[in-house]
Amino acid sequence: MSSPETTTAPAHCVGPDYRPNAQKPTATVSTEISYENVHILPQTSQLIALLTMIRDKDTARADFIFYSNRIIRLLVEEGLNHLPVIEHTITTPVGHSYAGVKFQGKICGVSIMRAGEAMEQGLRDCCRSVRIGKILIQRDEDTSKPKLFYDKLPEDISDRWVLLLDPMFATGGSATMAVDVLKSRGVPENRILFLNLIASPEGVTSFAKRFPKLRVVTAFVDQGLDEKNYIVPGLGDFGDRFYTL
Amino acid sequence: MEKAHYSPPWANTSIIGVAGSSGSGKTSLAVEIVSSLNLPWVVILSMDSFYKALTPEQYILAHKNEYDFDSPSSIDFDVLVDRLKDLKAGRRADIPIYSFESHQRQKETTSIYSPHVLILEGIFALYDQRVLDLLDMKIFAEADADVCLARRITRDVRERGRDIEGCIRQWISFVKPNFEQYVEPQRKIADIIVPRGIENRVAITMVVEHVRRRLKEKSRKHQEELQRLGKQAEDEPLSDNVLLLKQTRQIVGMNTIIQNPMTKEVDFIFYFDRLSSLLVERAMENIHFNGKKVETPQGNKYKGLTMAGEVSAVVILRGGSCLETGLRRVIPECKSGRLLIQTNYRTGEPELHYLHLPSDISTHDSVLLLDAQMSSGGAALMAVRVLVDHGVPEEKVVFVTYFAGRMGVNRLLNVFPNVKVVVCRIVEDFQERWIEKRYFGC
Repeated sequence: MSSPETTTAPAHCVGPDYRPNAQKPTATVSTEISYENVHILPQTSQLIALLTMIRDKDTARADFIFYSNRIIRLLVEEGLNHLPVIEHTITTPVGHSYAGVKFQGKICGVSIMRAGEAMEQGLRDCCRSVRIGKILIQRDEDTSKPKLFYDKLPEDISDRWVLLLDPMFATGGSATMAVDVLKSRGVPENRILFLNLIASPEGVTSFAKRFPKLRVVTAFVDQGLDEKNYIVPGLGDFGDRFYTL
Repeated sequence: MEKAHYSPPWANTSIIGVAGSSGSGKTSLAVEIVSSLNLPWVVILSMDSFYKALTPEQYILAHKNEYDFDSPSSIDFDVLVDRLKDLKAGRRADIPIYSFESHQRQKETTSIYSPHVLILEGIFALYDQRVLDLLDMKIFAEADADVCLARRITRDVRERGRDIEGCIRQWISFVKPNFEQYVEPQRKIADIIVPRGIENRVAITMVVEHVRRRLKEKSRKHQEELQRLGKQAEDEPLSDNVLLLKQTRQIVGMNTIIQNPMTKEVDFIFYFDRLSSLLVERAMENIHFNGKKVETPQGNKYKGLTMAGEVSAVVILRGGSCLETGLRRVIPECKSGRLLIQTNYRTGEPELHYLHLPSDISTHDSVLLLDAQMSSGGAALMAVRVLVDHGVPEEKVVFVTYFAGRMGVNRLLNVFPNVKVVVCRIVEDFQERWIEKRYFGC
């Protein structure tokens, strides 16, 4: 099955700077997106290898979970860098002064069920006892539009920074609806960080235009969507591969 | 940049030879010297390990007590000299294991690495000129012939299951004539003749004092060498092979928590583990990959990468074990070797106390060398040298550490310019090692 709407996949030599290009293998890297609010993880050889593992249909579930968790942790770490800090100078155990910072602002996670829940562990690995809300959005059979079925969010969510979790970003229908839900609960757009593993260029572009103050952190922007609106090349159904397959 | 030379403190090992008649108390003298020296890493090497394997005819003779084990021709001096040269040069040496049952060498070997002092013990320890050239001190243990015979009979009957008649026959036909012809002449070239074995405290004290003086001299030279490397390294810019973690808000925030003495233990450990995972992730960017095409469940193709080979880790104890949680989060199944390097608080010199590496380490694509902190670089230099001595090319070593002093890093990279150093922060030189204390709470 191939796709009509794809851009050409960018291939690059991937590896550390000190290594000559001739010694670096080539691989397909993320498509570039020219929106300031879209942050793509650095395309290191290590990240590409992790993505290769989870894309491969022959990767067993245990490995799929482990390697996607590693990428998710990197996404969370990058996402947290967008949170505010204030200066905080301390004296180290050996008596030196260190011009450090203190984390500011309360945060919470919101996962878009069910695949987004698979990212909660990675979030907890970096932020202990973080509050996590959930949103269930399904496609309405009649209108074939996304419909909100369920949500449970922290009551004080309007005071918090929200890390919105969804691993696959195809057309962005559910994510758009989720953002609308958050905004309706009083969360300002600029306090939402959308964490995502693989995005489609058309989905992420329209999303970035629609919510210019919201930040997207993704590991990889793929080539495009196929006729069924699956990401190409993608990795299949993330929820199935994580939970049941 | 010109590659600097570093000779580790264990290069030019002191070797003491102890010869003497069978039953003269060589072994107990060697053991007594070791316990009086009271140093880590002193090894006794018995020449019994270097007996030649016997032919079937010789084997039959041996079982009838008619094979001459007491002549120099029964010893494989070529192999012995080879191994001694390796040890003298600071390399690892595989010592054969000789089976007295089958009179063959076993398939397995034991390896000796980098002893401070090596005591070579055997009736012909001072026999071969090539061995003599490698010895720092030559000792001849002496005892009256009747004492020797008595000891030999007791030992052979009790420990080797022989009968008294056989022992005496061997003594008269082999031991005695060999002693007169080959063993006794070694007396003349000995530096010290020790009568009465371990009872002779004066002689043992002399030997021990001499060895200590020599070690002190070596330690001083090693210190000077480290200092010389340090001067050379002070003002140099960091090499491209030093990979610093980007000081993002989160990293700086975590550094603040980790370095703040007011931080609770539970938080210290949580943030240190979180940070060490990022260090190991950064280290993994330096390993090698090959291209790999995969197919997704939808049948789409992706041109990606896969690891080119095995990645293992070597933990420098105890500091490096602070990074193990991070290591396991990234590579749970990672083979890990361990080295215990302790800095001698009197001399400030790092000492290697314990070493256990994966047997196939030289075939791995990359070896992550973990330590929580690097200050003068002494322990790091020693650890990389240990890996290189075990067949790991220096370009495969990725040194991973939380803190490093600029001088330490430059020292390491002057000697091993192809090593990669992954570090969270470059700090003031000579910082005391405090992270492991905080992490382990003692």
